[in-house]
Formats: sequence, C-alpha cells, structure tokens
Amino acid sequence: MTDMRCGYAGDRDDTLIAYLYDDIDPAARAAFDAHLAGCEPCRAELEALGGVRTTLAHWNPPEPKSLAAANPQSATRNPPWWRTIPAWAQVAAALLFLGVSAGIANLDVRYDRNGLAIRTGWWKPAAQSAQGPAATEQIGVASQSGVGQGFSPASKADLTALERQLRTEFRSLAATSSVAGARPAASDAEILRKVRALIDDTERRQQRELALRLAQAITDVNAARQADLRRVDLTLNRVENNLGVEVLKNRQSMQYLMRVNQRQ
Amino acid sequence: MTWTDEELVARSISGDADSFNELILRWERPIYALAYRTIGREEDARDVCQETFLRAFRALPGFRGQAKFSSWLYRIALNLCRDWVRRERRTPVVQAPEDVDLMDLAAAAEPSESIEDLVARKDLSRAVEKAMALLPEEQRTAIVLKEYHGLTFQEIADLIGCPLSTVKTRLYQGLTVLRRELAKNASGPKGPALQR
Repeated sequence: MTDMRCGYAGDRDDTLIAYLYDDIDPAARAAFDAHLAGCEPCRAELEALGGVRTTLAHWNPPEPKSLAAANPQSATRNPPWWRTIPAWAQVAAALLFLGVSAGIANLDVRYDRNGLAIRTGWWKPAAQSAQGPAATEQIGVASQSGVGQGFSPASKADLTALERQLRTEFRSLAATSSVAGARPAASDAEILRKVRALIDDTERRQQRELALRLAQAITDVNAARQADLRRVDLTLNRVENNLGVEVLKNRQSMQYLMRVNQRQ
Repeated sequence: MTWTDEELVARSISGDADSFNELILRWERPIYALAYRTIGREEDARDVCQETFLRAFRALPGFRGQAKFSSWLYRIALNLCRDWVRRERRTPVVQAPEDVDLMDLAAAAEPSESIEDLVARKDLSRAVEKAMALLPEEQRTAIVLKEYHGLTFQEIADLIGCPLSTVKTRLYQGLTVLRRELAKNASGPKGPALQR
C-alpha cells in the first residue's frame, strides 16, 4: 500500500502505524516528522487512517444484560430512587400518609362538655336527619361553640326533620286516643314522657350507629397504617440487607465456579 | 481499600474466594468487550467471558506473576476466541438488525442528542462492525487490542506471540482495509452518517 512516490528510507508502513498510535521512540518520531514535512502522500494517508480511528471509536459492544444483572455492584452503582431517601424521611412520609388518610375519612374528634365525640365523613346528613334529636343536640352544641360552622345546613335539616317527626308522633298519639274513645285524654306530662322516651330510643340507636361507624373507621385506618408500616419495614430491611445480599451473590457465584471446577 | 490485581491474585491463591470475585467484577466487562469485538456474537462472547474466568480460576495456582494478570487474562480470552473461530469455521457474524427500534434508540440517546444524530451514530457503529467482520482474525485481534484496549505494540506481540513488526504490519493492513470498506459505506445510501 506504500505510495510509490514516497521515498522514506526505513520501514515506512510500520513507522506510519507507530506514529499514528504515538507508540514510537522520540528519535524515530523526529525523523518521520521531517519526512512528513515534504511527503504529501504520507500526510494524506496519516490523516485518512486517523479518520478511520475516529470512526472506530463509534463501535461499542452491546451492554451485556445478563452480566449486568449478575453484577452485584450494579445495584450500588445505580441505587433505586427510594434508596436515596433517608429512613427518617420515609417514616415521616408514612406518618403524613396516615394523616392524609384520616383527613380523607373526615375524622372529626371533639372533646366538649358532652364528653369525647368522634365522627367520620361517611356520616351523611340525610341519615342524621332520619336518626332524630340526638344528632341535633350534638350538632347544636357544636354550632353554639362556633367550632362547627360547616354543620349549619345540617342543623337546619335536622331540626326540620325532628319537627316533622314530632308532629307525626303527636298525630299518631291523637289518633290512638280517639280510637280508644273511653280512655281519658293523656295529660301533658304523659305526652312529654312518651316524647322523651322516643328521643331516648332514637339517641340509643344513633349511638349504636356511631359506634359501628367509628369501629369501621378505626379498622380502615389501622389497615392502612399496618400496610404502610409493612412497606416502610420492607424498605428499611432492603436497605439494611443490601450488603448481605451482595455478599450472598458473591458467594453463590464463587460456589458455582468451584463446582464447575471440581467437575472438570 | 483498593487492592491491586496482583494482591487480589495472591489472596485468591491463599483461599480468599472474595478476592477472585473482585477480579471477576473488575475484568468481566473488558474481557466481554474483547470477546464480542473478536467473534461478534453476544451469547458466544458471554460464554467466552465465563470460560475465561473459569480457566483463570483453575490455573490460578500456577500463575507466578511473570506477566500482568490482565495480560494473562487477555491471553486466555484470545485463545478461546481463536478456538471459537476455528471450531465454527466461519468469520465473525455481525448482529446487525435490519429494522431500527425507535424505543431502543430513544433509550440509548444522549441527553442533548437528536434522533437523527442517534440514528447516524447507530449506523456508524453498525458500519464499523461490518467492516471489522471482514478482516482476517489476526488483523482484527491486533486492532481490537490496540484500539479498544490500549495495549502497547510490545504487549500485543507478547500476547499473540509474534514479532513486534508483525503486529504493526497487521495493524497497518487492517486499518487500510477498514479505510476502504468504510469509504464504500460512506458513498452508499447512508453515506453522510459515515462521513462525519
């Protein structure tokens, strides 16, 4: 391939390659530099082979997937994003999650002169109105204290429902009295006693309903908390056991090598 | 603490399995790259890589440090590649898919690289791979060791077991063939990419 017009005295091709890769002793380099100054073909070929080297640099072997997967160090070189979060931040995130869960459940914990009261957002106003005066009493207390401004529409609805229920019950009592005929008309005190009995009954039913709802809310929150704690625990275990897993992988690969070696 | 290869070899010989594993982790990628560029098949390159370390492990007690551990490892890998080429009685096969998967390409893109540049880069890599596959094994090996592994002429001569001048001649001949083949590709339909 040596150009016939080149009059280089030594082994021109070997020297050109040595010069190209800069793997040449200084004296030979100086001599070839002097030759290049006056030899256009050598300069052109050197430039062309330099271009070939530049092109060769674009050839990269594919990433060996199985090797990368088997390489325990790859896990530490590129840790998953969640491993970069400190443990305290993960615990804080878990607590925040619990708080948000309670907020979504619209958990309302209140302590006043009537004692401790806990409600959830699943308690619909319509259901309240059907359940009678007890709910109205509690809501009324909240409104008076200025805490439960958001309950005002529900209070009106409850009062209306209570009024309607009382009217119905009074009418039914009056009808009963008229049917009885011979019986003397009930005194105001008797009517009041019956109304109070009705109110007490309604209140008991409402308390049972509240207890059921509360139990359901506590169960849901506990389930969410336990799931989240499990997730946090798993994450912490993975982080803490990372080194152990790597050591185990190393040992397994060495055991494999030992086994194959013994077989052969 | 970072151990040298020779220190890890000494510890491996004395029975420390973790030290040999460290040598594997340190050298598996260069050995795989050497095997892939020499024989051109991913799966076979991986087999050669594994076999290289297996043979090194078996021969470790006989390693007396007369050469660098990396040179010794390269020699084992090259012998295995040579055996593979002779056994298969064929030239290296270039794994060049005809179609271009844009999703794979996008995943391989550099942050500031356009899709056109990315396709051009892939084309260029494929063209080099094809041209390398045309070379005789000894020329290809010399170019791979020099170009991609940075060995000196003397180290290559020691590895292959031939005179220094032979290494230079193989390199010169190989690069000349590559120059011609790459110029053919450059004048083809995907020429502009290769002319960069």
